[in-house]
Amino acid sequence: MIPNPLALIAEVTHRCPLHCVYCSNPLQLAGTESELSTEQWTSIFQQSGKLGMLHAHFTGGEPLARQDLTELIAAARAAGLYTNLITSGIGLGEQRLAVLVAAGLDHIQVSFQDSREDSANWIAGTKAHAHKIELSRVIRRHKVAFTVNLVVHRQNLDHLEEMIAFIEQLNPDRVEIAHTQYYGWALANRAALMPTRAQIEAAVQIVAGAEKRLAGRVRIDSVVPDYYAKYPKACMGGWGRRLMLINPAGKVLPCHAAEVIPGMTFENVREKTLEWIWRESASFCRFRGEEWMPEPCRSCDRRAEDFGGCRCQAFLLAADATVTDPACSLAPTHGIVEAAIREANSDAAVASPKTASSFVQLQRETSSLWDYRTNPE
Amino acid sequence: MAPPLDSSQPRLAAGCRWGGSDADRVILFPEGAIKLQGTGRQVLERCDGKRTFGEIIAELQKQFDDADPQKIRADITMFLEQLQKKRIVDY
Repeated sequence: MIPNPLALIAEVTHRCPLHCVYCSNPLQLAGTESELSTEQWTSIFQQSGKLGMLHAHFTGGEPLARQDLTELIAAARAAGLYTNLITSGIGLGEQRLAVLVAAGLDHIQVSFQDSREDSANWIAGTKAHAHKIELSRVIRRHKVAFTVNLVVHRQNLDHLEEMIAFIEQLNPDRVEIAHTQYYGWALANRAALMPTRAQIEAAVQIVAGAEKRLAGRVRIDSVVPDYYAKYPKACMGGWGRRLMLINPAGKVLPCHAAEVIPGMTFENVREKTLEWIWRESASFCRFRGEEWMPEPCRSCDRRAEDFGGCRCQAFLLAADATVTDPACSLAPTHGIVEAAIREANSDAAVASPKTASSFVQLQRETSSLWDYRTNPE
Repeated sequence: MAPPLDSSQPRLAAGCRWGGSDADRVILFPEGAIKLQGTGRQVLERCDGKRTFGEIIAELQKQFDDADPQKIRADITMFLEQLQKKRIVDY
């Protein structure tokens, strides 16, 4: 018996006013014309509630780019789901927030790129930082839980303490400190984003100190950098075990990146029910359980903890989705990750640019450092 | 953080609420849920922001009158302290 999924990740659009260099969206973004309608999303939330799911995480792109977001939140809430809006905050002010909260928004998560304005705007590829600070004050006036998400990487880790202090004064209930994971745009920009071992070690100490200091006041959740870990992450809690992701065009995926795996066909909510896709589809069954596992996973004591790591990462790094995640120190292909680590820690590695006087100047000086996320057609 | 005072009024923290079905009640929070059964559920259902901590303890001591009342107090205190650290309960 396959257990029910726990949560729905609703990628309601790929449109976004930001151009973050570490965006986890696929390089091939879903076009605006292919987006699902309000009615189609409403049906998805109803099906999700019946399937026993508990959470609906609204993400994108920028979910606020959908004019019908209020209806979508209300529909998810009516289906019994806990509603979480993952947003840049662009397109949100006091009035629209009040409407969303009245529609049943339980939780809002705003991402910050840095504590320093020029650097934050440089990473996001647009001037968004000041608005996010203002929005944080507005959020605290409303009855909705507030998480600040901070993505950390080579370019901002050296002032992590300053960033945590900055977030503290925004007064969130919860902070998520997420090391960049290398998918989509982040993988394309990995050389500029991958931290050094010294940065990682310092970050671990700083986060542990902050957890202790803020205990009972702000909850801190961290996403660890798997390249530097001994064992791989249990990506999405295992393929087809907990989560379903629906992309803007209605494709149902077990995770954000699965579309990169060649030779797989993913079902669309326009043609099949969520329940059928969860229980029966070849795509969700493909890497579920242990049947598919190669050695060393198959005989490994950790196979029920990390499920062999991430299938997408196995394909992206080792060109084979069926092998052990190269992030695992036991993987035959671990040399690929070791090489990336060596490169990130070499003298020739990309250096952080000097502080420039403006974000435009930073962009100019670093025009060959990375590619900004584009927008769909 | 200190343990709750008898006069404090424990309640679910911002962003936490009840969900699931009556047979399978859960507390939902931003990135997860906990299933509550038995006494844990009995305690949290009384954390309504109205009852005081002292009243909650007294009610449960009365309900489980064959157990040591001091142990009940100690268990509930520890339970709420843990949930407070996880930002699920405020008091």
